[in-house]
Amino acid sequence: MISNKTEPAIHVIDDEAPFRRSLLFLLESAGWAASEHESAEAFLANMPTMPADGGCLVLDIRMPRISGLELQRRLTALASPWPIVFMTGHGDVELAVQVMKEGAIDFLQKPFKDHTFLEAIERALQLSRAQQRVSRRCAEARALLARLSPREAEVARCLAKGLANKEIARELSISDNTVHVHRQHVMEKTGTGSAADLARLILRADPNGLDQD
Amino acid sequence: MLCLLMAGMPGSVAAAEVRIGVLAWFGNHSAQMHWHGLGSALQKRLPGVGVSLLYLDMVGLEKAVAAGDVDFIITNPGHYVALEARHGMTRIATQKITPGQDSEFAVGSAVIVRTERADLQSLDDLRGKRLAATVEDGFSGWLVIWAELKRRDIDPEEGDVTPLFTGFPMTRIIDAVDSGESDAGILRGCLLEHLIRQGAVPADRYRVLSARDERASCLMSSPTYPGWAFAAARQTPEELARTVLIALLSLKDNDAVLRWGVPADYYPVHEMLRSLHVVPYDFLREHRLEVQIRRYWPIAVTFVVLLLLWLLYTLRVEVLVLRRSRELSAALTARQALEESIETQRQKMEHLSRLSILGELSCTLAHELNQPLATIGNYARSLTRRLQSGKLSEDAVGQAAHEITEQSERAAGILLGIRDFSRKRARQREDCDAGKMVGEIVALFRGMVARAPAIRIVDRLPAEQKTIHVDRLQIQQVLLNLLKNAYDAHSAAEQTSLPIDIILETTDERVRIAVRDHGPGLAIEDRARLFEPFFTTKPDGMGLGLSICKSIVEAHGGQLVAESPTDGDGLSFSFTLPHGSSLHDQQQD
Repeated sequence: MISNKTEPAIHVIDDEAPFRRSLLFLLESAGWAASEHESAEAFLANMPTMPADGGCLVLDIRMPRISGLELQRRLTALASPWPIVFMTGHGDVELAVQVMKEGAIDFLQKPFKDHTFLEAIERALQLSRAQQRVSRRCAEARALLARLSPREAEVARCLAKGLANKEIARELSISDNTVHVHRQHVMEKTGTGSAADLARLILRADPNGLDQD
Repeated sequence: MLCLLMAGMPGSVAAAEVRIGVLAWFGNHSAQMHWHGLGSALQKRLPGVGVSLLYLDMVGLEKAVAAGDVDFIITNPGHYVALEARHGMTRIATQKITPGQDSEFAVGSAVIVRTERADLQSLDDLRGKRLAATVEDGFSGWLVIWAELKRRDIDPEEGDVTPLFTGFPMTRIIDAVDSGESDAGILRGCLLEHLIRQGAVPADRYRVLSARDERASCLMSSPTYPGWAFAAARQTPEELARTVLIALLSLKDNDAVLRWGVPADYYPVHEMLRSLHVVPYDFLREHRLEVQIRRYWPIAVTFVVLLLLWLLYTLRVEVLVLRRSRELSAALTARQALEESIETQRQKMEHLSRLSILGELSCTLAHELNQPLATIGNYARSLTRRLQSGKLSEDAVGQAAHEITEQSERAAGILLGIRDFSRKRARQREDCDAGKMVGEIVALFRGMVARAPAIRIVDRLPAEQKTIHVDRLQIQQVLLNLLKNAYDAHSAAEQTSLPIDIILETTDERVRIAVRDHGPGLAIEDRARLFEPFFTTKPDGMGLGLSICKSIVEAHGGQLVAESPTDGDGLSFSFTLPHGSSLHDQQQD
């Protein structure tokens, strides 16, 4: 666990330096470290990777050149994992609806209460952490399945679909014995004990992995 | 003739009684004693006619004449002259005066003084002295001496001599002079000599002033006048008058009362009375006013009427002038009040307009104030949080305090600018630096507008011409309006990052300021209506901004002009302002 000592990454993006600094100060009071960016461009130019423990963005909607809204669109296009908490100095309902539809965690109107802000951050981090866990297990499943030879992979998918050895032999036009050997290898390589376990592994790696071709 | 006369006489007098009124100036008894001789003598001459003598005083005698109660009168020269004038009495005989003869009836007067009064030598010496006389209307007792004094320019009426009227008998005069009660006294002519002869008065005791003839038996201070008159009344028949006249003239006696001659000339009496303005010339006394009025009343009335008309006219003119000037001053006051009210309204309008532009900017203003307030809030809450968790370090407190201070000053700065701009105040022009003034309003604009665009100030003013003489707040109001318009033009085109240019330069002895945006510009027809009140192209605008800007610029002697820049896009507003007074002075020198 010591080697896995990652902290959640919080990035504050606002063109108002004093306000930006005040948010960092507040986050620090709650025990969170955060980094600041003076513009969307600055963030995009040096986009950090999402740590294992999750992270989030705190984004001002109105900024010169690339606005918060625009940044959100670009990140969505990049399939970025960063959850976003928006802030605005204006009570702009239409904007709020729009950013929430686009998947924002929260929409805060300045000035806001500290616990409101910290709760939103907490929520974003939990979400991010959960997402990170899902994607990590997916990666593990893929890594296990990647060990299989192409024929073994075919046998594994058939097993996951619940086919018996004879059915598999007929499907793949191979002998029953051969199917049996492949099955032995698949179970060994993936560390699963049953066809059901194998099916869960395949689905974890790819939710569509068992669909009919 | 005589037969005829004698024949006619009885007929004409037979039925009549001859009534003769006699002036009794000494009292009835005395007069009767004096005159009864005449009565009986006439009775003798007029047999068959009842001759009666009525003794009356002056007033009584005149009344009797007026009532027709007497046919004839015997009276002193002065009184006769008066009755002649008033009642048409005609003298038929005059009592004879024989000069040089010791006659009791010589009509003239002597002014006597005590012999030892050396200071009194002539009538002229009587000025300022007391003079005893009998009565005010006495002929020889006062009037003749009065006339003589007046001829010498001594007028008792002016107070030159103080008359002292003793009344009758005339011997009281002598008593008054004797006792020293009076300085001098008036005696009928010859009375003094008569009294001396009788031994009633010592011969050397008195002296006569200004005696006319030292050798005469009677010394007179006055001229002598005709004697007493015997006069017929107006209604007395001529026959009777003639009869009585004949009887009178035929009387022959040494007694003075019987000595009558042809009527004397009473002109000197008239003259004398006229000079004194006494009866019958008393009207002369009135002449000063009453007579003049009576004689000249039509002229006087005309004059008075004209005077009144003139007065009325003058009054009318005065009243009109007063009324007109009052109306005029009222009108002026009203006009002044109106002007003041308009001025007040204009100032209110400008103030409202300033508030209006602030209102239009207030959305962004709220944002701008929000930033520092939110920042301050964040620091404050963070500090509380750290305090509660026991992690409050000195560094953190220092940082937070510093940031809070900065942000509160920033907020205060924004509010100060707004308050300065929005406060109500009277207009005032002063010299100020054009660049500095523009800089202030640009700072205010930047403070109010979220993420204000770049504002490029191009100052082409020569160093010695940077001062302008303006109402700073008004011109800043104009500039703020123009900046906001430029900003709105950019916002409408969604090009808020475009810069706004402010250019300062000199032109035609004035400072020209232009505000230019790089937006889509304005249609020609809109540009024409740009400065009309309530014209606006903005959904939330009042449409008063530019209208008021225009009046402000015009009040500074310039013109607000909107034009498309020759070198490209956008719209440019420009206006000119007067140089500062120091430059003015230099130019005038």
